[in-house]
Amino acid sequence: MEKVIEVKDMSFGYTREKVLEHVDFYVEKGDFALIIGDNGVGKSTMVKLLLGVNTPTSGEILVGGKKIRSLKDSHIGYLPQNGGSRAAAFPATCEEIVLSSLYREIGFGRMPGKKHKAIALEALKTVGMEAKRKALIGELSGGQQQRVMLARVLAGSPEVLILDEPTVGVDAESVDRLLHILHHLNIEKNVTILMVTHDVDKAGPFANKVLCLSEGACNEEALPQAEIIHAHAHKHAKGEGAHIHSANCKHEVDHHHDSEHCPECNHHEHDHAHDHEKEGK
Amino acid sequence: MPTILQYAYMQRALLVGFLLALLVACLGTVMVHKRLSLIGDALSHSSLAGVALGLLLGFNPIIGAIAACVVAAFCIEGIRKKLGNHSELAVAIVMSTGIGLAGVMSGFVKSAADFNSFLFGSIVAISEMETYMVIVLALVVLLAFFLLYKELFYISFDEQAAAISGVPVGVVNAIFTILTAVTISIAARTVGALIVSSLMVVPVAAAMTIARSYKTTILWAAVISITSTIGGLVLSFYCGLKPGGTIVLIAVAWFLILYLLKWLRGRLTSGNRSADGAKRASEESKGA
Repeated sequence: MEKVIEVKDMSFGYTREKVLEHVDFYVEKGDFALIIGDNGVGKSTMVKLLLGVNTPTSGEILVGGKKIRSLKDSHIGYLPQNGGSRAAAFPATCEEIVLSSLYREIGFGRMPGKKHKAIALEALKTVGMEAKRKALIGELSGGQQQRVMLARVLAGSPEVLILDEPTVGVDAESVDRLLHILHHLNIEKNVTILMVTHDVDKAGPFANKVLCLSEGACNEEALPQAEIIHAHAHKHAKGEGAHIHSANCKHEVDHHHDSEHCPECNHHEHDHAHDHEKEGK
Repeated sequence: MPTILQYAYMQRALLVGFLLALLVACLGTVMVHKRLSLIGDALSHSSLAGVALGLLLGFNPIIGAIAACVVAAFCIEGIRKKLGNHSELAVAIVMSTGIGLAGVMSGFVKSAADFNSFLFGSIVAISEMETYMVIVLALVVLLAFFLLYKELFYISFDEQAAAISGVPVGVVNAIFTILTAVTISIAARTVGALIVSSLMVVPVAAAMTIARSYKTTILWAAVISITSTIGGLVLSFYCGLKPGGTIVLIAVAWFLILYLLKWLRGRLTSGNRSADGAKRASEESKGA
């Protein structure tokens, strides 16, 4: 399976103190992957690194096999944290907001034409918001705003969708609806999804891979189908390596000493993932 | 021909007022939605430092104002990036510096009347040369604004997402900064440094109470800005009022009236909704 995102022994810190250390994971085409963890462990930082907003201190991130510099030429769509609530104060219609993501297709100095409006309408249909296309986004509920923001990302026909806590501040019914839309995109359109979330109970059943950035946040019962990759950013007594193990082998790998192999079963960590059949697909 | 149009200076004032009102509405809409409403204040006050320098050293004060505005605008952008969570302080720091410099240098300016004309503007004393300058500026700014319309929309809406989508955010922001700085400098000469920032914000605030899209926000802001400017000039001509202050007060009146109408409409709509709800509930209880 094609690896669309690959993080190799990556570390990052805003200051000398590392936020993320020796993180290894990858996302394959068609995966529904989650990044989970307690507040402040570096989930959003990880997203910024994947988007090329921040640069790793060491290690590398490959997107579509190429070293990440920026996502300008990639087919990655990004839905930011609180995207909907930020839009609430902006006096624009849902259609105007969705059309904004077609910047490259429309071209410099041109205004959107019928073709672009049709793409925007299709994206709004995918999230069930076509009837509200002329409504001001500020007049919609939080869940509806988030769906419009998702439509904005979808209008760019992304192959990979990165979402940073899209369910925050959204009512339970809207969370379910949003997750079902994402599931539909993942299954029917083979869109690879990488989502940062606290909502493990709700999003867990859809996921086939989970990057867990802190011990407490990883409720394995809520992740029945997922391969779980632990990457703790805390410091060791002797060194600063991160413990990473795969849920499949359940053996701990100290990446500070051996970033490639599980010492007990001698499996390449990534091989576990290859062996792991994606359930529910 | 109405009396007001029989005077060449008033014809020029109306033409320049119309063009500047259109410009500040377009740029003001972007500024307000980038949450930078106070930048107009900072730049217009900083322009005074350039005016004072021009008057002191004997070069055209408008050139001084433009240079000071551009420097101030880039300083704001630079300081904003450095201050992170307290980025709004950048506007206050630059504005204070501008006022300080203008205050100190104005003490050395021989002709206080010249300096004061930039404080409160002199739209009815615009020369033919200045009129041509405003016409050229208006064409350049409007052309750039329409060419960059969707880029500015996207950056105002979500700068990070715009950058990820390939919008050259740095270049567009720099062009916008220069356009704003030049417009404010010219507008300061005509409507006054103390008033131009109000004209950038108040019509947009009024437009936001009635607009149903981003495009109509710009259109309404332009309509409110133009009617305030022309109305202010006409009123000041016939009633002997100061034009700059009259223009801004009309814009504020627009805002108050539209806000009141919106509030009343909201009250009526919620009243109708609760009446409908009560009617439905009583029909349901009768049915039961």
